[in-house]
Amino acid sequence: MEVLQYSLRKLVAGIPLILGVTFVSFLLMVYFGPDQTYELLGKNPTPEQIAEIRHQLGYDKPFLVRYADYLRELATLDFGHSNSTGEKVSALLGRTIPVSLMLILPGFLLGNLIAIVLALVAANYRSGWVDKSIMGFSVIGMSISYLIVIIAFQVIFSSSYGLGIFPVRGWNVHSLADYVDYIAVPTMATVFVALGYNTRFYRSVIVEELTRDHVRTARAFGVPPAKLLYRNVLKNAMIPIITRIVFSIPLIVISGALLVESYFGIPGVGKVTFDAITTGDQPVLKAVVGLTAVMFVLAQLLTDILYRAVDPRVSLK
Amino acid sequence: MSATTGSTAAPMAGTAQPAAGERRRQTLWSKAAWKFRRDRAGMVGLAVVLAYFVAALGVWTGVWATGWADVAGGKWEPVSAEHWFGTNLIGQDIFQRSVYSIKTAFEVGLVVAVLSTLLGAMLGAMAGFFSGRISDELILWLMGVLDSIPFYLLVAAIAFALEGNPYAMHVAMISTFWITTGRLVRGEVIKLKNLEFVEAAHAIGVSEYVIILRHIIPNTFHILLVQSTITFVAAIKSEVILSFLGLGVKDGMSWGLMISESTFEVLAGFFNNFLAASVLMFGLVMAFNMFSDALQDALDPRKVS
Amino acid sequence: MSGEPLLSVRDLVVEFSTERGVVRAVDRVSFDVHPNETVGLVGESGCGKTVTGLSILGLIPSPPGRIAAGSIRFQGRELVGLPESEFRRIRGQDIAMIFQEPMTALNPVFTVGNQMIDVLRRYRGLTRRQARGAAIELLAKVGIPAPEARIDEYPHQLSGGMRQRVVIAMALSCDPKLIVADEPTTALDVTTQAQVLEQMVILQREFHMAMILVTHDLGVVAETCHRAIVMYCGRIAEKAEIGPLFEHPRHPYTVGLLESIPRVGEHEKEDLAVIPGMVPDLLHLPPGCRFADRCRRRQPRCDEALPELDGREDDRSRVACYFPAEPPT
Repeated sequence: MEVLQYSLRKLVAGIPLILGVTFVSFLLMVYFGPDQTYELLGKNPTPEQIAEIRHQLGYDKPFLVRYADYLRELATLDFGHSNSTGEKVSALLGRTIPVSLMLILPGFLLGNLIAIVLALVAANYRSGWVDKSIMGFSVIGMSISYLIVIIAFQVIFSSSYGLGIFPVRGWNVHSLADYVDYIAVPTMATVFVALGYNTRFYRSVIVEELTRDHVRTARAFGVPPAKLLYRNVLKNAMIPIITRIVFSIPLIVISGALLVESYFGIPGVGKVTFDAITTGDQPVLKAVVGLTAVMFVLAQLLTDILYRAVDPRVSLK
Repeated sequence: MSATTGSTAAPMAGTAQPAAGERRRQTLWSKAAWKFRRDRAGMVGLAVVLAYFVAALGVWTGVWATGWADVAGGKWEPVSAEHWFGTNLIGQDIFQRSVYSIKTAFEVGLVVAVLSTLLGAMLGAMAGFFSGRISDELILWLMGVLDSIPFYLLVAAIAFALEGNPYAMHVAMISTFWITTGRLVRGEVIKLKNLEFVEAAHAIGVSEYVIILRHIIPNTFHILLVQSTITFVAAIKSEVILSFLGLGVKDGMSWGLMISESTFEVLAGFFNNFLAASVLMFGLVMAFNMFSDALQDALDPRKVS
Repeated sequence: MSGEPLLSVRDLVVEFSTERGVVRAVDRVSFDVHPNETVGLVGESGCGKTVTGLSILGLIPSPPGRIAAGSIRFQGRELVGLPESEFRRIRGQDIAMIFQEPMTALNPVFTVGNQMIDVLRRYRGLTRRQARGAAIELLAKVGIPAPEARIDEYPHQLSGGMRQRVVIAMALSCDPKLIVADEPTTALDVTTQAQVLEQMVILQREFHMAMILVTHDLGVVAETCHRAIVMYCGRIAEKAEIGPLFEHPRHPYTVGLLESIPRVGEHEKEDLAVIPGMVPDLLHLPPGCRFADRCRRRQPRCDEALPELDGREDDRSRVACYFPAEPPT
């Protein structure tokens, strides 16, 4: 009950954020965005034809009415039809979002889990050579561009110049084996890049926690180092860890998937977004931006509830 | 019982206040310089960054890499004395193009780092100084809003709104990269304004803007310096991906454009373009990261390493 | 005191490497602690008393700190250089520690019971249920009302005094032979301070433990300790039994400390005495007596060489001063 009440309050408090995000993106993408009038017209259109098309596209309505229309679309999840394919936007997203999740989730989970383990190991051997090597690799990982890693991994694992053991591009998934085949290289690239930043972040969180007085108390009562880390420290470090993980979810679904999907030609929401960017497909862009904003508000809510679960000092008031 | 703690109680005269803030700064900076010089990785990083910077200056003043756009050879020529890194699809010299791109990287990095740090410093200081008031709420809301728009979408939107302006990429990066700096500065300012020397300046009637400019902003310089190095790296890395997506550098040459050129070359077995851009870029980013790390270690008293 | 000492520290040297050089936080400190006695380790902050306490449990943060020389023998067993895995078995079980900050010494995300049960199960091999019973019993013993309810609360739900009692209960849970208490009552308000101290004295007798009480507060020492060791700048200035120490302090530093305690009734009009000057920087120590700069009995000799503790090992009163105040004969 407490959680439910809290959630409602939080959702209401998230309204200004949703309004802000939708407003800014509406202003940039729709109001100042690409004008589709002439793409839909034949050669030498008459002023009447132009006015007709502009009316069809809703360009002649006042700004606030158009914005209100957008909000209504967002509330009803009815964004109309894609300009370029004519497919219903909700159907398009319903088809592509699962693909993106299937593609991104394994790399996302592995990238965080492995990073937390590496961070614990590094923190345990703080200042020793193990720590220094892990952190050295992490700086190297941070310094290589995601794009470069993707290209290099594709050459190494997929092309005839490398091992050639995975498909170069595409998404032809009919079985688990296909699935593993197609996500292998994108996942490796994602994990490689994520490890650099994540390991570093998690290590600093854990090391900071290790300097706390209660850790010294635990040591004074003979808690062995391994137990100290996974029991006494990890739970305390959960708040920054949860924050990082949950808040990166909305971004990876869109931004992370965008690069991988367009490079590997995988029909996920990232690819759809990328195509919408390049063709100025406003119904799709509006849907993606609006839904991301909603996801952020939900992420905020989720972190707050999770904080409560890991830290008794946090109250849902 | 301790005789050593007696000095804090004495009330200080109004004229002594700026000195307190200054002292705080000086000890921080001299200690940081000392610490930084002892950080071997940081010094190596700095040296490499400076070498790159000299290379960029050479391009900028027209000393070298002037023929980056000339067709000087055949398609995909291998490494030779004439073309150190070979040539690309239409016979342009890859070495010159990759060196020219150093200039582009510094341009993007410096413009974005300087402007987003300035913006973050100003808005962050304002929010922090007026924390709890409406301007703070507004700035926090703006940060939340901009944070919630996926970066590539924002770039695309700004690119559209600016109708293909070559600086659309810079504007987009600045409008997202200032946020982290702004948040950090806000936090530091909230801490600073409760310190004695700021309260004392208040008490003797110094105006709020003078307090922000003279007493608070200077005490956040260490954050700004570290953040600008982080932003610089982020800008260079983003350029590569944005250029690949067709949202980045419009005229001129950059590592991002070279890499996106190379995406079909690598599948045909020609790696020169890709390697030249990747390696040079890795060198600069790695050096900058090492430099930035050392700065953080030296300047952030809270950082535990 | 006679018989075999429980703890015997000899010429302990603890060094910390800092940015500006190596600092000797503890410099050739020697003392004994016998069973059932309470020894006060007194001095200003930074004098090395806490570091001395931590090194007994092998808890010197390393790096930057390390035990550079000396020996710490506990029940005849050398602790310096003991492998971490063996040290772990001594901590909590044979030697327990109570820390200064009850606010932060407990893990905020686990209940009080959870933390205590953890210790009890590890050392006494109890089942969860037995350990819980034992924990409740201990909480009652340290004076926590309604322990059955308190045991399931989180540290932030307890007051400072309660939390410190919980830490004490944890320390008692394995029947240690020695407790090192580092400023156990400093963070508490005066009334609570007195209650907690009283409780500690009672429990120390009941559990037949020895205790090292690290404190800057001579008042606390007077109330609880049998003997006191006064430290200054990493060195022992004076050690003596409580009676003689308070009646006839010999080291000028001890004299100064005692004079700076406010006394009700005496010399009401006079200002409280203050020891003039500053504690020297541990990085730039004078060759002579470290207290010389602030000492009213200073002579040329004081600046030439460090005074060592006088007298024999088992003497009741020893002082490291060339010109100590002489006790009446």
